Formats: sequence, C-alpha cells, structure tokens
Amino acid sequence: MYSWRRIRERLFKITVFGVATLALIPLFHLIIVVFINGLPTILEAGLEFLVDLPPTPLSQRLGGIAPSLVGTFVVTMISLPITIVLGLFTAILVTEFPKSRLSITVDTIAKSLSSIPTIAVSMAVFSLIVVLVNAIPELRAFLNPAGSALTGSLALVIIALPFSYTYFSTFLRSVPATYKEAAHSIGMSRWAVIIRVVIPVVKKSMLVAVLMTMARIMGETAALLFTAGRYRNGLPVSIFGPVDAVPLLIFDYILSPFEVWHKVAWGATLILLLFYMLIFSVVKVVVKEVKLV
Amino acid sequence: MESLSAHGLSLFVKTVWDPENGVYGVLGPILGTIITSLISVSVSLILSFSLAITIAEYLEGYLKKIVSSIVEFMGGLPTIIYAVWASKYLVPLLKNNIMEPLHASLPFIPLFSCRPVTGFSIFAAGVALGISTVPYVAAIILEAYENIPLIYKEACYGIGATKYEAIKTLLSLARPAIIAALILGFARSLGETTIVALTIGNSMTLTPCLFSPGYTVSALVASQFANAFLYQHAESVLYASMLVTTLISIILSLYASKLIIDWRSRVVV
Repeated sequence: MYSWRRIRERLFKITVFGVATLALIPLFHLIIVVFINGLPTILEAGLEFLVDLPPTPLSQRLGGIAPSLVGTFVVTMISLPITIVLGLFTAILVTEFPKSRLSITVDTIAKSLSSIPTIAVSMAVFSLIVVLVNAIPELRAFLNPAGSALTGSLALVIIALPFSYTYFSTFLRSVPATYKEAAHSIGMSRWAVIIRVVIPVVKKSMLVAVLMTMARIMGETAALLFTAGRYRNGLPVSIFGPVDAVPLLIFDYILSPFEVWHKVAWGATLILLLFYMLIFSVVKVVVKEVKLV
Repeated sequence: MESLSAHGLSLFVKTVWDPENGVYGVLGPILGTIITSLISVSVSLILSFSLAITIAEYLEGYLKKIVSSIVEFMGGLPTIIYAVWASKYLVPLLKNNIMEPLHASLPFIPLFSCRPVTGFSIFAAGVALGISTVPYVAAIILEAYENIPLIYKEACYGIGATKYEAIKTLLSLARPAIIAALILGFARSLGETTIVALTIGNSMTLTPCLFSPGYTVSALVASQFANAFLYQHAESVLYASMLVTTLISIILSLYASKLIIDWRSRVVV
C-alpha cells in the first residue's frame, strides 16, 4: 500500500536527484563546449599556437599565445614561492600558538582578506605602485606604473595568501596531537617538533596545497587587470616590464568583436582548462597516496 | 582613496554617468551588484542544496567520491572559463528559453517588462554567477550537514522517520550554518568580476527590469578604470564605489563565519 509518506519520500528523492543533476550539467556542457571550440583553433594553428605572437584583428593567420603563456609562467614563478613561504609560516604560527593575540589577529585578517573582491586588490596595488613611483622617481626605472610582472605578482600574492594559509593550517591541524606529545616527551624543542615531526607527516598534503594555490594563481583574471600591463606584442623582456597572462588574453579577446580573436580566446581557454585538469588530477593522485599511508 | 566630498551622498542616489560634465551617480551599479548577487544566491541555493543532500544522503562509496571530486573540480575552475562559457552559451540559452517566454506571457510585471534584446542582462549575470558559486556554497552546507552528530540522525530513524523526514529535521538543525553559507555566497558574488563583466551587458541604466543590461560595481571598474584618469574625479568615484562593495563583503563574511562558529559550538560540540 502506498501511503502519503511513501509518495512524498519518492517525490523528494526524485526532485533532489533532478536538481543535483542540473547542478552538475553546466560543468559537463562547459568542458565539452570548450573542447569543441578550442580544439579546431589549436589544430589549425598547430604547435605554433604555443610559440607564436597573437594575431592582428584582421589577419588571416591564427598566430599563438606565447607572450601570455610566458607571462603567466613568469608571474606564477614569482608569486608562488612568496605565497607558499608566507602562507606556511603564518599557518605554523597560528596552529602552534592558537591562543595568542597575534594569531587571532592574523586569522581575522586572513578571513577578511579572502573576502575582498579581487578587483579591489588590483586597484589598490595599482594605486600603491603609482604613489610609490611618484614619490620616488628613481623607482621609475624598475617599476612600470602601467603594470609589470612584479606588480602583478604582488597582487596575486595578496589574493592567494589567505587561500594557501587556509590550506596549510587545515593540514597542520590534522596532525594528531599524540605525535606532537610523543616528540615533546623525548625532549625535542618546539621548533624541532615542527621541522622533524609535523612537516614530514603532512609532506604530501603540502604538495596539494602548493598545487591548488598554483591553480588559483594561474586562473586569476581580475587581480591582473590593472597590474600586469597586458603587453602581448612580444615576449616579456624583464620582470620589471609589463607582461600578459592567459586569463587576461581570454578576457580581452572574447570581449572584442573580431572573429580571429574569438578563435584564439577559445584555444587559450582550452589550454587553461587542460592545465587545470592536469593539476587537479595530480592532486587527486597525491591525495589517494596520503590516505593509504 | 575616498576623496569624494565633492560629490557627497548624491553620488549614491543618482544614476547618471557623464564624465565629461563631471556628473556621476553610482546607484545603478550598486543596485545592480546587489540584485545580481541576490539572483545568484537563489540560483545557487536551489542547486547546491540538492547537491549537498544527494552527496550526503543518497550516494555511497565510489559514486560519492566521484561526485564530490567533481564538485571540488568545479570549485577550483578558473572563473574566466566559466565566463567564456556563460557569455557564449548560457546567455543565448537563457534568452531563448526563459527570458523571452516570460516576457511574452507576463509583460505586465515590471520585472519582466522589457524585451531581452541581446540576452546580456542582470538576470543572465546572476544565473551565471549562481552556477559558479554552487560548489562553494555546497561545500559549506555539506560540511555543516555532516558535522551534525550522529545521535540526532539515529534518534530520527529511531522513532520511525522516513528519509525525507529525517533530512528535514537535520536541516532544521543546520539552518544557521546554511544561512551563513548563503551570506558567504552573497559576499562572494558581490566582488566577482570576470563572469559579470562578460555577461551583464555593461550599460549605465537603472530599470526595474531584470532582462535589460546593467552594471555591477566590479564590472564598472573593470571597464572604466583604465581610462578613468582622463576625467576629474572619475577615479575616486570608482574607488568609492569599490570601497562600499568591499566593506559590505568583508562585514558579511566575518558575520557569516561567526555564525558558523557559534553554531558549531552549540550543535556539534
């Protein structure tokens, strides 16, 4: 016999399942669409897509996205180590001394920092650099006020820092207290416990944190809008000069009215997506290993 | 950065944007930001709610792992990829299947009164944002839901509750955490730039209609900041409106994380 409760149960299950599927469909559609639109571009341009300069709006050739790729690489290489080191040390500080006033302040700052819109960070860094350059004219030789790899990296560090801090502190907190107590009981100093016990235990998880931070940095668009300089007529010459980044290129080209640029944007999107998928699958493999230990 | 006394409060109630005459009003973008975020939160509430319940209650073993990995994957996906997809596929889809029928059948309701010409609109931006915040909100709801002590669940089934009834009870326990998740999602939508800039249609108008193009503060900044230095005050106007958004966002997220912490110490212990 079907009571009202049974029917309601069924209805609920079907609705929940249906809507949950609806929530996942966009992702699959997105991946398929990016491949459909991106692959022809890359196939047409061939390997040159990775090493050539972007096309002019009316050109017949597709060209490539080399300046943006190199730019993203440079900016990531500058900002990633800084973010990791700062994030790791603040996380150690906060997990080791959770009750101190400094830690509580740092924790609150990290929380509010992560909720600042990325474009606000971009504006703030931009005006900071402009003010600095105006105050100390000698700096002009080093910092291009219209944007440089260094400025862009600074903005990225500010954005990725709370992110990596959250990752690191979650992992550090996951170390069982018994390990630490055992280490302390044999007379190890606090510092030695961190270096020799805590960090080796969470080594694999650290890699996850580093990779996820890297994915975040690579995909960031708004933070670089005013800070990187969008120089895409050639390869970047120095880290003090303007650079481009893949997300910036996609952003500008997809808004433009030119057919060629749209094609290039799709190709670049595909490359970004592939990079992200690669990072994500490495993360998944590492996480699996961590669970086995 | 807030050197704005020249305009005073009138800045926030006018809707004109005329740099050449030095007249600014950012009511449009600020309202646009809030409306877009509201739409986005409602979209992501429905989607992530079901997603979280499905993962927590109905899926087991392998399938559960796969689906939660997918959600994680969505969460880390660069927003620019969402933006490109939304501007090329989601916007036309919404225009043909939702906006035009609604406009055709219910033109007397002000919300649906204007013809969706291009599809790029506040509504489209809200939906696109909502989809992109789903993994974020779902993760918070899921965490809260799974943090509820097992005793409550056992008690529910112990008195013969069906799964639906048990879920309903557990969700009422988790309500503060869900509200916090929504506030966090709202704060996040406020500052999102890339997706909005590519879907909202960038126009300085203020209408009650959801299907007309508009602006949000961050989209406004993204498109105007680069040449704002050409006009007197333009730059500081942008800074001021960004400041408002940033402050709202920070306050909301601090409040939400306090909600979560309070809730955890009360229910989970």
